[in-house]
Formats: sequence, structure tokens, C-alpha cells
Amino acid sequence: MADNIKVMKEKDISKVTRRAKTGGVVAKVLTYAFLVFMAIVVLFPFYWMINSSLKSIEEYRMSTPTFWPQHVMWSNYSEAFRVANLGRLFLNTVIVGVVSTILSLIITVLSAFAFARLQFKGKNILFAGLLATMMIPGELFTITNYGTVNDLGWMNTYTVLIVPFLVSVFYIYLLRQNFLQIPNELYLAAKVDGTSDIKYLWKVMIPLSLPTIISITILKMMGAWNSYIWPRLVANDDLHKLITNGLRGTAFLDEAGETNYPAQMAAVALVSLPLFLVFVFLRKYIIRGVSRSGIKG
Amino acid sequence: MKVVLQNVTKIFPSRNKKSKESVIAVDDFTFTVPDGKLVGLLGPSGCGKSTTLYMISGLQKVSGGKIFFDDDDVTDLAAEKRGVGLVFQNYALYPHMTVRQNILFPLQNLKGDDKLSKDEMLDRATTAARLVQIDELMDRKPSELSGGQQQRVAIARALVKMPRVLLLDEPLSNLDARLRLQTREEIRRIQRETGITTVFVTHDQEEAMSISDLIVVMKKGIIQQIGKPQDVYDDPVNLFVAKFLGTPPINVFEGRVANGTLYIGEDAVLDVGGVEDREVTVGVRPEGFVYDPAGSLVCKLTGIEVMGRDMSVVSEKDGKVVRSIINSDVTVDPTLAEVRYTLKPNKVFIFDKTTEERIRF
Amino acid sequence: MVDNKQQWKAWLYLSPAIILLLVFTVWPIINTVRMAFLDGYKGLEAAGGATFSFGVQNFVKVVKYQKFLQCLGNTALMCVLTVPISTLLALFIAVCLNSIKALQKPLQTIFFLPYVTNTIAIGMVFAAMFNIVGSFIGTQNELISNAGIINNIITFFGGSNVNWINTGSSYAANIAVMVVYIVWNALPFKILILLGGLQSVNKQYYEAAKVDGTSRARTFWRITVPLLSPMIAYVVITGFIGGFKEYSSVIGIFGQSMGPANDAGRLNTMVGFIYDALSSNNQGRASAAALILFGIILVVTLINLYVSKKRVHY
Repeated sequence: MADNIKVMKEKDISKVTRRAKTGGVVAKVLTYAFLVFMAIVVLFPFYWMINSSLKSIEEYRMSTPTFWPQHVMWSNYSEAFRVANLGRLFLNTVIVGVVSTILSLIITVLSAFAFARLQFKGKNILFAGLLATMMIPGELFTITNYGTVNDLGWMNTYTVLIVPFLVSVFYIYLLRQNFLQIPNELYLAAKVDGTSDIKYLWKVMIPLSLPTIISITILKMMGAWNSYIWPRLVANDDLHKLITNGLRGTAFLDEAGETNYPAQMAAVALVSLPLFLVFVFLRKYIIRGVSRSGIKG
Repeated sequence: MKVVLQNVTKIFPSRNKKSKESVIAVDDFTFTVPDGKLVGLLGPSGCGKSTTLYMISGLQKVSGGKIFFDDDDVTDLAAEKRGVGLVFQNYALYPHMTVRQNILFPLQNLKGDDKLSKDEMLDRATTAARLVQIDELMDRKPSELSGGQQQRVAIARALVKMPRVLLLDEPLSNLDARLRLQTREEIRRIQRETGITTVFVTHDQEEAMSISDLIVVMKKGIIQQIGKPQDVYDDPVNLFVAKFLGTPPINVFEGRVANGTLYIGEDAVLDVGGVEDREVTVGVRPEGFVYDPAGSLVCKLTGIEVMGRDMSVVSEKDGKVVRSIINSDVTVDPTLAEVRYTLKPNKVFIFDKTTEERIRF
Repeated sequence: MVDNKQQWKAWLYLSPAIILLLVFTVWPIINTVRMAFLDGYKGLEAAGGATFSFGVQNFVKVVKYQKFLQCLGNTALMCVLTVPISTLLALFIAVCLNSIKALQKPLQTIFFLPYVTNTIAIGMVFAAMFNIVGSFIGTQNELISNAGIINNIITFFGGSNVNWINTGSSYAANIAVMVVYIVWNALPFKILILLGGLQSVNKQYYEAAKVDGTSRARTFWRITVPLLSPMIAYVVITGFIGGFKEYSSVIGIFGQSMGPANDAGRLNTMVGFIYDALSSNNQGRASAAALILFGIILVVTLINLYVSKKRVHY
């Protein structure tokens, strides 16, 4: 009797483990299949962009698509530069991006330092007030700002693309949190040694918060690279137009009103390339900033 | 250089907004740190010892009273102008700088006439590093150093600007036991070699006793006693000081004085002529017991721990544990039900039951 | 211990931020509310000296306005479709990613890639993929007859061509394209947050479930989802907020016509409506619409928070 039970148990156990094992393998295969399929879906537009950008317009229009260009047409890229005036667009975007990032960083660091390190009346109320403005959609500000910059005579200048967005409450918040993590003793030690606030900020706080500062820099640059609505409203002239606005214009239409897709895709690829490079080399910093923000660009 | 504190007081406003009461962290503090001496501020946490240190450094302002460095009144002088070196409990080393950069940092702040050339700075940094024996580690980051090494870097950083006063906040509390022993000798040596007037804060009486020229025992913002470690140990002014100093701690009994004799329970243990009849608290140092089969103090024996040179006899008197240290040449039979002691008069202190002040006899 | 020197210094350091915020954030809040409540307010006329009476006519007009209702409908529809789809998909991907060892890092990198893209630029790629080049009813000898790669794939699997975004396309087809693109765009952030959450879940819960013989599906719904509920709530809320501000993705696919060539503005959104009103100098109307948008976002967020407070498990 007892032996029988034992035998049955052993049988059951081996059956169960076998079933669990096959179940595990099937699950694993399904998991990988799903992930690889989704990865292909995610990557496909990038592949199609590059594939299309290298085709001749005739090949692009063929009823049976080719999955790699029969003749690689690098000339589409120079064509894109020519028709869409990409050089100027890149230059404008870089100028706006670099200047606004530098100024924005200065403002952010000084404000975060004041909130994290200095004592002043009304500090908590002011900080809470700043955080509250983060809830309001940006569109609400744009309506008035459009009038304000018009009154200031800033239309179609670099200034209008830079100044209104220099202060980011979110970045101030992010950096302040980082500053607060630096032990108070470091500040006291520096003070006993006669270090000025600015020197302490420069020599200790900024180096120790460098990862956050890099994250802010990247996100801010990406923001300039991707901004569309505001530039279209206030600086849509050829001298100051930014890259995204140039893309969605009418530059790629031919005389017949047909879009020159290969050249357009080449332009899109050129615009995406810097972002891609930033992503490859600085992914860690982007993820760091993004996982705390949820704001794109 | 001597440091003089004159009626120094520190009051913190209450954190609780409803109650207007403020906290007196340091109350009417007067004492002098003699030139070139090592002084330990000793007390349990919250006694105001760190606040005192911070007021000497200038990082905290006094609420009342004055502080002098020699004859200079530094009460209103900012921290950076006092020329003090401060070593923090957690060392506060800059984590992104190498040891060398950390030590150089205070020198790079010097301005005007005090400004040093690059070579001079490096020279000073090397000297300071050599003094604390970390000159091999100059290119490491703090995270690559052990606790004891970080401690030395912090001291070197404090010493490099040749401070008039060196202040150490709980310098040994973050080190393990073995390192603590070694480091306190090290601090003593460095202090002797440099001759800098040094004040340090600790809650560990053994630490304070072992290296200080002078200890200041504090409780709740009030100085209890100032003196040489051995003097304070041998002659405490109240029960708090007696209990705070010494390991194992002093044995405390309820007792009474009747007709010039001190009683613990029913045992007449000591002649204390001159003290009027009253109830008292009796403190007996562990080394104050003499094993004596004819002794008058009778305790129930519970255990014997031999620790080499000495042995510790654990017994009970009226439900209280009594721990005595006895030379291990004496043999005590562990099977005995009770032990008897006579007491060394200079190791017995009696205190008023309510004020806990010492009653001398 | 507030000393005067620090006060003075703090305000000095904060001054650039405060001045800019006053001009470009605080004043706009006040002014937008003001303009919204001045009937028929127009910037140009106001500059010319015209005065406007206080009232709620802007709101009444906006709400009754056919175009506005269309924009609101489009926005809400896209939101309601994309947030659940992208959240569920992201959740599955995150759980799968978390369960594998080999290839985890490279796959993670791939799934994050759409985040670092220019919404409009990649929207143009999607448009190209869905686009029909030339006429798709084309005759035999017509060269220009590419129905677009997506249609090619559909016909490869036996389906028939769909007019996705060109002239004469259906509203349903347009919305389908928008949903695909918005979900594609929304996945990386959601995967990032959910995967981060999963990786911080204590493995012991899963070991305990395994010991008890809990099935995979049950483990997923009864352990993973509840433990992840704070992160799920977070991505849903940010998803709704982002969804109600949808605009660039429509521009990316359809261009500034915001719809197929024969029906411009068919896919216009709330934000698009505000900008159109602003471009035509109807600041009063734009302000009213912006405040309504703010109100909707606030209400949706509060509902989400309320629901998640009941459902979020810790």
C-alpha cells in the first residue's frame, strides 16, 4: 500500500516536471517570437525610411516594392539639401539649440542652487507655485506669448525662438532634488575653508550633479531639434526657420504637385541621424531624464 | 593658542510652530582650552557638545556670550576668517576629487597676501599628507579608501591650511573597534607633533579618557565637570559624571548613612564620619571591591569571568547586579553561594538621593 | 537663521528665472483667463482701441462651434483608442523583456528607439508607408501604381488595398493610421517606466507563486499587474494628458491640412483648434478653448487619480 503511493507520487512528479519543462520551452519560444515581431514593427519605419531614401523616384513608384534599392541613389541626399535648404535649417536649429541650452542651464543651475542651498523668506511658497505651473498645458501660455513677442518686436528673430522657453520648472525641480542629495557637511567644510558660494557651486555641486546636467542638456537640445508649433507661429521665414518646419513644407513637391518621396525620406533620415547618434552614445542620460519626466522633448 | 568660551549660550527656536518654547542647546558655557592641549567634549547625544564645536568653528552663531582665540574676540567672525580646521564625523570628503585635490582645496581659496604659488601648495599638501601617513594615496578617490584612510585625508585637509585650532566632530565613531584604537593614538601623535590646540567631540568616554589632556563632561547643554581625565574619574562631582565614566560602569546601590557609617542594605560597609544621617545613593567602582571572606558586604555569587590579568566577579545584592574587577591572583571558589567584600574608601562615592550631587566624606 | 545676505543672494540667483516666468508664464495665465471672458476678444481690434464686454460668450460659441466639436471628438477618440492599446502592449512587452536573459539589452534598446525621433519627421515616414503613389485603380500600362508598402503587405497576406490617407479615404482608415502611429510613438516611454517597475519588484513574490503552482496567466493578472499598478496608473495618466495635446503626429501624417486633401481639417485636434483660432486672431476664442482643454485634462487626471486610488494596490 505504502509502496504503491510512493510509486504513484514519483510518476506524478516526473509527469508534472515534464509538462512544466515543455510548457517552459513553449512559453520561451512564444516570448521571443512576440518580442522579435514587435522589434521588427518598431524598426520597420526606420528601415523603410533608409530604403526609400536611396531609391530613384521611378523605382519608388514601382507597383512591386523593392526591399533594397536596385541603384543606390546617394544623390537624393544632396537633392534634399538643395531643395529644402537643409543647410540653413540645420544651422538655425543648432544656433537656437546651443544658445538656449547654455542659457537655460545657467538659469536652471542658479535657481536650483537657491532652492536647495539658500534660506530665504517665501522659499517654500515660491517653489510650490513653480511646481503648480507644470500642470498647465503649454498651449495656454502660447496664446498670450504670441501677442507678447509681437509687441516686443521679436517676430522672425532667433530671440523669439530662445527666450520664452529658457525657464523649465521641471529641470529646476530635477536639479534641486539632485543638489539636495549632496551632504550638508560638504558645504560646511567648504565654508570653513573660505570657499565662496559660487566656487562651491562650480567646483563641488556641478561636478557631483553632472549626470543630471547632461540629461538636461540632451533633453533641451532634443527639444529644440523637435520643436514645431511655436517656431511655425513666430519665426517661419527662410532666415530663421527650424528643421522640423522645413521638413513639412512644400519643398519636396515637383512641378506636377507630386511629392519627391526619395528626397523627402533622405531629408527625414538626415534630420533623424543626429538624434540617433545622441541616442547611441548617450542613451543612459536620456533614460535617466525621461524616466522622471514623461515629457517628450 | 588658547580658546576661551565666555558665558556662551545657544538657543534654537522651536521647530514646532504651535509651541513657542525654544530649545536651549548650550547653556551659559564658560571654559578655556589651554594652548596646545587636546580637549575632549564628552557627553551623551543631545548634550550640546557638537553645537559647542560648531560655535567655535563659526558655522553656528552664538545666541549669547563671547568666544576668544587668545585675545581676539572672534564671536562675530565668519567661519572662513577664524582659521580653524574642522573634521566632520562623516569626513565630508569631496567624492569627485582625488586625495590630493581634496587636500589642496582649502589652499586654493586663499586670497590676497595669503595666496600661495602652485609649488608651495603642493609642498604643503605633501607635508600634511606625510604627517597623517597617506602620501602613498594621493591619486586615489575617497571611495577607494578605507574608513581609516578617509579619516586621515580629512585630518590632512583640515591641517593643510595650518589652522589656529583643530576641531574634530566624533572623529572615531565611523571606524571599527580595532581601527578606533589605532586611530586615536594617531590623533594623539599628530596633535603632539603639530602642537595645535585641538577640541574634539565624542560620546565615548573611553576614547575621551585615553587621549585628552582635559575633558569636559556635558549633559543637556550644561557643563558637569572639567578636568584631567583621571581626576574626573577619581573625583566625580555628581552621579551623572560617575556613571558616565568608566568601563565596566560604576555599581550603584541604594544606601543610608547612620551614625557615621554607610550601609548598603543591612551591611555596614564603610566609615563615613562627618556625614549626617540620611538616605543616599552609593557608587562603587568595579575595582573598589576587595575580595575578603571576612568582609562586611555580602553578595549572592552568580558567576566569574576570568579575563587574563583580572577577573570579573558577577554577583547580586538586593536584586541588583554587582560587577567587580579583582586581581586574578586571588582565587574565588565558584561554587560558593555568596561572596564577601570590603570596599576601598577612595573608590566609593556617595550622592544625595534627589540632587545626585556628591557628598564628600 | 535667515540672514540678510543669503536672502539677497537667493533672490539674485532666482531673478532671471522669476523675470522670465513672470513674463512668459504668470502673465499668460492671467491674460488668457481675461481674454477668455471678454466676449469676442480679438487682439488686433483691442490694439485699435476696441473694448469688449465681460461675459462667457467665447465659451458658448466655442462649445456650439461645429469645428470645435469635431476637434474634441477626434482628440477624445484617439485618446480612448491609443491609451489602452499602447499601455497593454507596453505591459506585455515589458513583462516579456523582463522574463528573458539573452538579447534583453539589445531588444530594450530597440524598443526605446522611437522615443528619440522627431514626431513630424517619422510621421512623414509613416505617411509614405501608408500612402498611395499615383492612382491605385491604375491601368495595366501605368507605371505609377504603387499602393504603398503597407498595402503591399496586406495584399501579400491576401487582403485588398485600402485607401488609408489619400483623397477619398474613409475617416475610419484615417483614424486607424493615427492610432498605429501614436501607439508606435507612445510605446518607448511606457515600456521604460513599466520595465523599471518590474525590475524593482521583489523576485520572491514570483518564487512564492511558483511554489504554489500558480499558472502564468494568474501570476500575471494577480501578482504582476497589482504590483505594477502605481506605474500603470502613471503611464495611463501621462498618456491621457499627452493624448489630449495630440497635434504634431497629425501634422506628421497629414501635413498642415490636418486631413486628407479633399477634407482638410477632418483630423484636427483640440490643440490644432487653438492654434487656428490664434492664427486668425481670435484670441478670445483661442483662450476659451485653451481653458476648456485645461479643464478636460484636469478632470481626466482627477478621475484617473480617483480610480487609481481605489485600484492601485499600494
